Amino acid sequence: MELLTDWVEWLPRLLSGLWVSVQVTVLALVIGIPIGFVLAFMSSARNAIVRWLTIIVVEVGRGMPALVMLQMVYFGLPEAGVVLDSFAATVIALGLTTSAYTSEIIRAGLRAVPEGELEAADALGLKRGDIVRFILIPQGFRIALPTLMGFAILILQVSSLAFTLGLPELLSQAYSIGASTFEYLEVLTLAGILYLVITVPGGWLVENFEKRLSKHLA
Amino acid sequence: MTDPQPKAGETILRLNDIRKVYGDHVALGGVSLDVKRGEVVAIIGPSGSGKSTLLRCVNQLEVPDSGTLEVLGSNIDFAGRVSSADLLALRRKVGMVFQSFNLFPHMNVLRNVSFPQERVLGRSREEADKVSRDLLERVGLANKMENFPQKCSGGQQQRVAIARALALEPQIMLFDEPTSALDPELGLEVLAVMRRLADQGMTMVVVTHEIHFAAEVADRLIVMADGAIIEEGVPSELLAAPKTARAKQFLSAITDR
Amino acid sequence: MDHFLAILSAVPVTLLVTFAAFALGAVIALPLAGGRRSRFAVVRLLTKGVIDILRGVPPVVFVFILFFGVGSDLIRWEPLPAAIVGLGLISAGHLAEIYRGGLMAVHQGQFEASAALGLTSTTTFSRVIGPQAFRVAIPGMVTWLISLLKDSSIVSTIGVAEIMFVTSQGARSSGEGLLPFIIAGAVYIALGTPLAALSRWLEKKLSFGRRA
Ligand SMILES: Nc1ncnc2c1ncn2[C@@H]1O[C@H](COP(=O)(O)OP(=O)(O)OP(=O)(O)O)[C@@H](O)[C@H]1O
Ligand SMILES: [Mg+2]
Repeated sequence: MELLTDWVEWLPRLLSGLWVSVQVTVLALVIGIPIGFVLAFMSSARNAIVRWLTIIVVEVGRGMPALVMLQMVYFGLPEAGVVLDSFAATVIALGLTTSAYTSEIIRAGLRAVPEGELEAADALGLKRGDIVRFILIPQGFRIALPTLMGFAILILQVSSLAFTLGLPELLSQAYSIGASTFEYLEVLTLAGILYLVITVPGGWLVENFEKRLSKHLA
Repeated sequence: MTDPQPKAGETILRLNDIRKVYGDHVALGGVSLDVKRGEVVAIIGPSGSGKSTLLRCVNQLEVPDSGTLEVLGSNIDFAGRVSSADLLALRRKVGMVFQSFNLFPHMNVLRNVSFPQERVLGRSREEADKVSRDLLERVGLANKMENFPQKCSGGQQQRVAIARALALEPQIMLFDEPTSALDPELGLEVLAVMRRLADQGMTMVVVTHEIHFAAEVADRLIVMADGAIIEEGVPSELLAAPKTARAKQFLSAITDR
Repeated sequence: MDHFLAILSAVPVTLLVTFAAFALGAVIALPLAGGRRSRFAVVRLLTKGVIDILRGVPPVVFVFILFFGVGSDLIRWEPLPAAIVGLGLISAGHLAEIYRGGLMAVHQGQFEASAALGLTSTTTFSRVIGPQAFRVAIPGMVTWLISLLKDSSIVSTIGVAEIMFVTSQGARSSGEGLLPFIIAGAVYIALGTPLAALSRWLEKKLSFGRRA
């Protein structure tokens, strides 16, 4: 019973934290996915220099832990004269990470478009640009969608690392409640449950989508 | 389905000494072939003999290493580069149907047929849809227009693919084993559509293992082996009495099953 | 240079956390993957729930629960074991799903053929199904190992003196915000690149073998 009253008391603060987590996640995705899309195309560019530079940028973005990216943007950019608050820094850092990862996801999606469909489009006399716009991109995006959704869930989880920048998201709210009440186990567990409320149904949705898609392509 | 061609008899497709090599494997070793307007040519031959490669060279899905191609009066010499305008012009005149249908899975049946008309012929959506409905009705798919391809049987999908190609009003249709991926019964639906198309005077080049279809519908039968045409003639005669040992062997292999 | 040497000296700790957690996870994942295929619906549901929780809570939150939550209330433990157990359990959740994918890829006929040959279920699993499933699972396992390497950076937040911990310390004491993190990023990439190459190589090799 005491646990319940505690939880009810903490919930508003935790929910406001969750709201911040969701905001930075959505903004990171909104910024990162379009960049990822462009990178996906650049990484298969004809020009070898463009292609290799893109591949290096993407590999660096994917190889670097999100925590390093966050700290680098927040503590490092001021040295270059760009001072950001923790919210903006989080959005930018997660956005960069997103663009690197999603470029690979989208590239894989584009590559998975069956060769035969592209040939059929060729044989119908469709122009290169039309094939890319009406066949390759919609189809590739559809194939990539479940993985992109899975990645969106992952980024929500990663956003918890922004507590190291002092962003008042879910984990930092939970931690500071813990610090003042010493009920670490209870409040952190509740925070964990709040994450689960989003990530678990999200995961089911992704599974469902994947199943439907694999039936679709079969 | 398109109007019967006014002038029968003139040569509208001419392949001259087409060569295609993959690595050190000669897929086509200098093949020449003339097809007249309204003619139905069937091509048979063992796997790997170059049948698909030949068809794909006609509409440039594969670029030959050398040789010339003449389609409805325009010439392409593969010694030089083929401009993309020439390429698109060529493909507008030539329709192609694949073994694996290759419909666009993110478009319903009607869109599959209408979309290329809008982009290739510049038709409006209404115009294109009207043509599509008409064609789909004629191939017996009036009640499938709103379905997505994966909800259709293989035979239905292949008929959509035929309608999609016909909607662009090609003068020549290429078929690459259109029934090989289908159960015999579903294959018959497709063959019936092709038969009607032939009756209406469409010029067709058909790679097929359907000997009956070749015998009854084709004006000319071609046997390929090892990247070359080894024998050709009137289907009934050729099937009854092949002249070369290689053709004899192949025919007995596919009929003795 | 100082930053670089300090960060380099923390590499063994990062590798220890990564590989120990991976090993722990690889073992715990076995019963979890088995539970997902249990005859009993309750067991299936329960293991699915456990796996969903392990994969659904952010790693840093999970490690916090273990270290600050369980740690202060129930047992006292050092950051390092807490980190290894935390990341190990998370790994178990992910690896269980990877194993399951491998098992599902084994053709049903293999079970039937084994049964028809009169093999015991132990033999069937250890000699017939297991090796085939493992083959399919290996690339996914290496991919997980690579993410785990990067995820291990989060245990700096509970005070494990690995790469990220040393990096933040260096940044704070020197007042430099950029260089230490660039070095850290480079070190992580240097550690991960061979693993990524390994994964690509395995994928090619294994998928090729399967086609034959
Ligand atoms: N893209 C390619 N790269 C390398 N070799 C190829 C390629 N396409 C075809 N070939 C080879 O060229 C030869 C002719 O192939 P083609 O597909 O034309 O044969 P086919 O007569 O259509 O056979 P099938 O009846 O099996 O369809 C084959 O030996 C094939 O392996
Ligand atoms: Mg073929």
